[in-house]
Amino acid sequence: MATKNTNSGKEKTLDFYNNAYYINRELSWLQFNARCLSEAKDKATPLFEKLKFLSITASNLDEFFMVRIASLKDMIHAGYKKPDIAGMTPKEQLDKVTEAVHEFVKEQYNTYNRLLLPALNENGVELVRDYKKLSEEEADYVDRYFDEFVYPVLTPMAVDSSRPFPLIRNKTLNIGALVKGKDTEDEMEFAMVQVPSVIPRIMEIPESSGVRKIILLEQIIERNIQKLFLNYDIVCCYPFRVGRNADLSIDEEEAEDLLKEIEKQLKRRQWGQAIRLEIEKGFDKRLLKILVDELRVEEKEIYTIDGPLDLTFLMKLYGIDGFDYLKEHGYNPPAGVVQLPPDRDIFECIREGDILMHHPYESFDPVVRFVETAASDPEVLAIKQTLYRVSGNSPIIAALAKAADNGKQVSVLVELKARFDEENNIVWARMLEKAGCHVIYGLKGLKTHSKITLVVRKEEDGIRRYVHLATGNYNDSTAKLYTDVGMFTCAEAYGEDATAVFNMLSGYSEPVAWNKLTIAPLWLKDRVLYLIHREAEHARNGEPARIVAKMNSICHKDVIAALYEASAAGVKIELIVRGICSLRAGIPGISENITVKSIVGNFLEHSRIFYFENGGSPEYYASSADWMPRNLERRVEIMFPVENPELRAKLWHILDTELKDNVKAHIMDANGEYQKVNRRGKDAINSQKIFGIEATELVKPKDITESRVFEPEYRDYHGL
Amino acid sequence: MATDVFAAVDLGSYELDMKIFEMSQKKGVKELDHVRHRIDLGTETYATGRIPAARMDELIKILLEYSRIMESYDVSRYQAYGTSALRETRDIDNVLELLRQRTGLEIDIISNSEQRFLDYKAVALNNEGFSEFLEKPTAIVDIGGGSIQISLFDHDTLVTTQQLRLGVLRLYSTLQQIQTGYRKYPLLVQELVDSQLSVFAKMHLKDRKVQNVILLDDYVSPVMQKIKLGMEKKGYAKASEFIGYINRMSNESIPDISRKLGLAQDNILLTYVSGLLVCNICEILKAETIWAPGGCLCDGIAYEYAEKKKYLRSEHDFEKDIVACAQNISRRYMGSKQRSETLQTIALNIFDSMKKVHGLGKRERLLLEIATILHDCGKYISMVNLGDCSYNIIMSTEIIGLSHLERTIVANVVKFNHDNFEYYSDGTYRFRGIDKESYFTISKLTAILRLANGLDRTHRQKFKNVKIQVKDKELEISVDTMADVSLERGLFEGRAQFFEQVYGLRPIIRQKRL
Repeated sequence: MATKNTNSGKEKTLDFYNNAYYINRELSWLQFNARCLSEAKDKATPLFEKLKFLSITASNLDEFFMVRIASLKDMIHAGYKKPDIAGMTPKEQLDKVTEAVHEFVKEQYNTYNRLLLPALNENGVELVRDYKKLSEEEADYVDRYFDEFVYPVLTPMAVDSSRPFPLIRNKTLNIGALVKGKDTEDEMEFAMVQVPSVIPRIMEIPESSGVRKIILLEQIIERNIQKLFLNYDIVCCYPFRVGRNADLSIDEEEAEDLLKEIEKQLKRRQWGQAIRLEIEKGFDKRLLKILVDELRVEEKEIYTIDGPLDLTFLMKLYGIDGFDYLKEHGYNPPAGVVQLPPDRDIFECIREGDILMHHPYESFDPVVRFVETAASDPEVLAIKQTLYRVSGNSPIIAALAKAADNGKQVSVLVELKARFDEENNIVWARMLEKAGCHVIYGLKGLKTHSKITLVVRKEEDGIRRYVHLATGNYNDSTAKLYTDVGMFTCAEAYGEDATAVFNMLSGYSEPVAWNKLTIAPLWLKDRVLYLIHREAEHARNGEPARIVAKMNSICHKDVIAALYEASAAGVKIELIVRGICSLRAGIPGISENITVKSIVGNFLEHSRIFYFENGGSPEYYASSADWMPRNLERRVEIMFPVENPELRAKLWHILDTELKDNVKAHIMDANGEYQKVNRRGKDAINSQKIFGIEATELVKPKDITESRVFEPEYRDYHGL
Repeated sequence: MATDVFAAVDLGSYELDMKIFEMSQKKGVKELDHVRHRIDLGTETYATGRIPAARMDELIKILLEYSRIMESYDVSRYQAYGTSALRETRDIDNVLELLRQRTGLEIDIISNSEQRFLDYKAVALNNEGFSEFLEKPTAIVDIGGGSIQISLFDHDTLVTTQQLRLGVLRLYSTLQQIQTGYRKYPLLVQELVDSQLSVFAKMHLKDRKVQNVILLDDYVSPVMQKIKLGMEKKGYAKASEFIGYINRMSNESIPDISRKLGLAQDNILLTYVSGLLVCNICEILKAETIWAPGGCLCDGIAYEYAEKKKYLRSEHDFEKDIVACAQNISRRYMGSKQRSETLQTIALNIFDSMKKVHGLGKRERLLLEIATILHDCGKYISMVNLGDCSYNIIMSTEIIGLSHLERTIVANVVKFNHDNFEYYSDGTYRFRGIDKESYFTISKLTAILRLANGLDRTHRQKFKNVKIQVKDKELEISVDTMADVSLERGLFEGRAQFFEQVYGLRPIIRQKRL
């Protein structure tokens, strides 16, 4: 049970809870986004990958607004004054964060204008800056495109006394205009049109001058806006974009039917309070005043943008043909898993011993195959799985439905509260139910974030349970981009625990005891604190003590305080934290034994792996949970030990290689700022590249005589 | 397939418990799954004798889920037992029928003594240390929600078993009515339980010292699995240290205890009350060692099944416990041991000689044996109303391992041994709750017991060595004795008539003089 103060040591003269030792999580997150941006600026990053990174920082920021800034605003409105981990009130946080975001946006567009546009030009790509300055031929093409494809889907809206101000949807791009009635002396009116999301944001104008010209959709509309308001004169027109409060908060006690409630919330999300207004540089003052009055945004919530709004279009630009040579090819595609060859029975392979997979270097296919095989295997009695975020058209969902069809008992916990995926989740949750699966729509008051699959099979010598435990979602698309680890086992202890997990998720009482797994929110926090305290104890007794922990974020104050205490006791602590880190490294007497490293690379670091030296008999764990309050206290999470020596060696190799990474790694300095690792003449170590090469090597046929097939190599493999 | 997947369901007063087991001769009994669902059937049922409709819906919902879980293991057999809450439901037959219709599950009701017997069986079969532990004087203390059962063992045999209405939930709700801080609980619990425990001690313990306590319960056992109290092995504790530990509990806050023990906060107070109850019992028994082997009714159900299917074999003879229990009752009411033994020898001899005729099995043989042991217990109260008094004594004394129905059979057989037989169609109250089949068992066993009794009319054991054979339409009883059997022969007629009525065989006595 969670109690407030777990800090119970007696030699406390140091206050490990001092606010000064902590970093605000929003500011820390912005630092993470800055690290992503730094990839876009990195000379070593191929040009089109730079576009991708910049696009990612933009979509990250959108979500940050919708959720984090929105919740800060909610707190301020509710009069909530409780300070955060670093002792800042919501008001203070919002001020600091807003300031930092303005800085960050400036940096984004600096990168775009000074770095990316010139580089694109050098490579023969030109983004049209001024839609008025097109050649006759080009203009003709663009306008025809407008008439044929764009015009039919536009809904122009004018505002006057009889027509109220229209709803401006969250995250949509719009064009606002001042119009004046023809032949009248009336005042100027506001008019607007939404840039349709059903038409591609970018359009390539047929090449005429040896340069590939790209024009943005809003520019095409602006060029032709007169056609939308025939009875008016257009005084001026500019694009703008609104960000709204979108954080879902569902009162489950009141929500009789969770599905309906979520659908309702999704609609409401479009109308949340406006918290950001982006306008193009040079935006008309009169037009702005109308928007500010209607949307009730404050001065500091207005972002004046020097360039196109909403940089996520760069992801589309990344996709245009012909620039393969400006993309990254140094990373190998997922390799097969040696222990799980496609031509062998997957259950038989698992019976031979536990298997640990490192995605995306090793393919996610075996996980899909695991569920698919189970669905049609006559020996399989039941399949149970938790699903958090799955891909559209997921083969896993299809397999589960098929399993139910084949008469297996299929139980699926579908987490409807997975942010921004609700719409998606509802659709296929209903589909599974129709197929005859037993679907649980999450747990009251808790998000189910654990990733676990259980297959019960009736074999010759009795019932055997196969378990898959993982750090990442059952999503075959993201499994190609996120780094995660997953383990297959049929050891009885894991099977019993997995059964107990699903019993708890079905509303039954907790088991008498757990064999291997530790479950949040009931036990995990205490377990993590215990493991850290134990390490401190070992250090005090002069025994080997070391912690290496890799995760996405760390901002739980009790856990960080425990790490400070362990550091002060002499435990060497190496953290590999991709995202938010509220811990400050290198504070004398507090955290001088702690280092924080962050890897932002080609793949999104997503696995959570923990190593505890434990006085010479080390323990390894993997988990679905970060060390954040929400993971440890408000979610169902699983931490599982890895005990097989070979599997441990593999986990250690992951941690060790990432600790040595000097290409994609940043290190936190004493000021809490992140700096790229100084290589000092050492060989470049790019951990993600190395893992890919190693995985490919493993599945290569040993000798040419074995396969008797020659494998041609292509230019792409060499990045030429 | 050589493995059997078995589900055991316990419909308790406060919880629906189900365990799935895998059994085979090679591997024995292995637990696969354990699901527990809280449902309060007790509170309302105890008060009104009915299960409210909403509870019924809840029950059906959970049972349907359980049935789905059974399917997911491809369960081949299951056994579902309802305990006290269902037992005390007045309209239980309709309730069971409704549950059967809605869920497809057949549920049986078991009596307290059967339930305790299963609990006890689970411990005996699941633990190697059992016989060793039982070498010293031992008490099995089985703590339920409504009542507790204390069974005393001496040299591996059961001495006595008594039910006391001191269940932990009953105590807890009394304590809650008093509305006092839990620091006062030690004193209150002592006052609440002392009167009953001291009566128990006076009647059954006398000066005996019970060194070992085997504890079966839901709340203290998990604690004992987690902490060490003066003993090396898990689940064992020195009684003195246990008492000290429970006393120290009142100084800690509930969240602290909960966190330290890793138990749900809701259960901490119940654990505390159970702990205090155990302390009081240990003190009165003067126990030195406590052993909490864990396990629940579902284990008992499974082990019973496994034993029947011969997946398991126990060194401990459970029938001996039932017999020992009957013998102790007989001793308490000053029955004659010698006379019982003679009667038993003759009766069982008759029973065994006519297996083909009566078609009864091992279990009925045991009932006959118990009936012979208890045949004269009513004498203690009245020599004249022997039949009725014996009947009443048996009906109000628990015989561990026998179901209520079986006990009713024994009581009736003993009664009709002395009194006129009553017929099923007479509709007498004695046959309430007895089906036709059991009625036939009563009449068949009564006929045998009467015959045996008739052969030992003088209580001089003249007919100890008899040979019994079925020949045509006669049951030939050959006796080698020099003694005068004219009295037996003379009075034989009346008894033989009933026997002939039941079996269609005429018993005749042949005396071979040596």
